[in-house]
Amino acid sequence: MKRTRPGVSSIRKARTLTETFETQLIDLLPRMRRFAYGLTGASADGDDLCQMALERALARRDQWQQGTRLDSWIYKIMRNLFIDEIRATRRRGETFVPDEAGFAIGAEGGQEATVELAMIDRAMLRLPDDQREAVLLVMVEGCSYKEAAEIVGCPVGTLNSRLVRGRDALMGLLEDAA
Amino acid sequence: MTVTPEMIAAFADGELAGEERQRVEAAIAVDPELARQVDRHRRLRARLSARYAPIAAAPVPERLTDLIASATKTGTASAEVLSLAQARARRGLAPAVRRWLPVAGPAIAASLVLALWQPWQRAERPGYAPAELASLLDNRLVSEQRADARPRVLLSFAARDGRLCRAWRDFGRGGIACRDSVGWKIERKLLLESTGTAEYRQAGSDTDLLAAAQTMAAGEALDADAERRAKTEGWIQPRD
Repeated sequence: MKRTRPGVSSIRKARTLTETFETQLIDLLPRMRRFAYGLTGASADGDDLCQMALERALARRDQWQQGTRLDSWIYKIMRNLFIDEIRATRRRGETFVPDEAGFAIGAEGGQEATVELAMIDRAMLRLPDDQREAVLLVMVEGCSYKEAAEIVGCPVGTLNSRLVRGRDALMGLLEDAA
Repeated sequence: MTVTPEMIAAFADGELAGEERQRVEAAIAVDPELARQVDRHRRLRARLSARYAPIAAAPVPERLTDLIASATKTGTASAEVLSLAQARARRGLAPAVRRWLPVAGPAIAASLVLALWQPWQRAERPGYAPAELASLLDNRLVSEQRADARPRVLLSFAARDGRLCRAWRDFGRGGIACRDSVGWKIERKLLLESTGTAEYRQAGSDTDLLAAAQTMAAGEALDADAERRAKTEGWIQPRD
C-alpha cells in the first residue's frame, strides 16, 4: 500500500495549531483585561468585554490569518464589541453598572495611590471613545501608530491627531488637578 | 519649518525616523518649550503605564481561563454572548449555576422556536402540573431529549427539602416543578414579556430559571446517570 495514513499528520498539525491559538489567547488575557478596563473604566464591565471577545474569537478563529498578529486581531474584536455593544447600551440610557472591584485594583499603595488611580480613570472616561482607544493602544498597550491605526481602522495621520487631542485633554485634566 | 504638536507627540513616542526625527531634534535643541512638551508626553505615558500595569499583573478571573480551556477540551467554541446584559446575567449567577449553564445551553440556542403550549392554564389540580406536562416531567431525560425539543427539560436537581425537582421551559414560559406524592407541584412559573428584543430576554429567562433552581437546590444538578435512576424510582428519593 502506497498510501500511508494521510489523515494523521494533518490532524496532528491542526491540533497543534489549535493549541497554539488557545495558548496564545491565554497569554493575551492580562493585556486584554488591561485594555478592556481602559475602554470601559470598570473591571466588571471590562471582564464582560473580555468574555465576549474570547467567545467571538473562539467562534471565529477561522477568520484569524495564521502569521498575522493575534493581539492586533483581538484588540480589534474588543474595540468593535465595545462600540457595538457597550457604547450602544450606554446610549440606551442603561445605568452604568457600579464597579465591584473597580478603582481598588492595584491600589495597595493606600489612599494616595487610590486617588491617583481614580483621577486617571475619571480623566480617561471623559475622553471621546476614539481618543481614548488611541491613547490606550499607543501609550498603554505599546502599539505603534501603524498597528493602532490598523486596529481602529483609520489612517495613521488620523490616529496621530486623535492621540494628540486625547493627550492634550488628559494633560489638562491631570496636571490642573494635581 | 514649524514643528507640529503631532510631530512632537510622534517624536516622544519614538515614531519618527530619519530626516523628520533629526528636524524635531534640532528644533528641541534650540527651543526649551518644545523640550518641555516632549517631557510632558513622556511623563503622561509613564503615569498611564503605571496606572494600568496592576490590571495586567492581577490574577485573571477563572471564568475567562475556563472559557478557553473548555474550548480546548471540546474543540468547539461555546455560544457567543450576544449582549452585555447577557454577560452580566451570567456573571450575576453564583458559580454553581454557571456550571449548570452547559446543561441548559442548547435550550438557549433553540429558544426562538414558536410553540403555543400553555402548561398551567389547563391545570387539573391547582398548583400541580397538568397531565401533559406531568408526563413530560415523568419521562423525558435531559440527556436524551432532542436538541430542539419543545418544551424542554433544562435540568433536574434535589431540593433542600428532599424532593426531586425539574426545571423546564417552553417558548416564552417555563418553570420549576417538584415531585411529591400527589404529582408535580409547580414551584416557579416564569412568564416572559413578549415585547422587545426576544433573543436577549429568552437567554435571560433561562438564567432566571437556573438562578431560581439554585436557590432551591441542595447541591449540583443531577447528571445523566442520577437522572435515569431518579426516573426509575418515580422521581421520589428513597428515604433512609
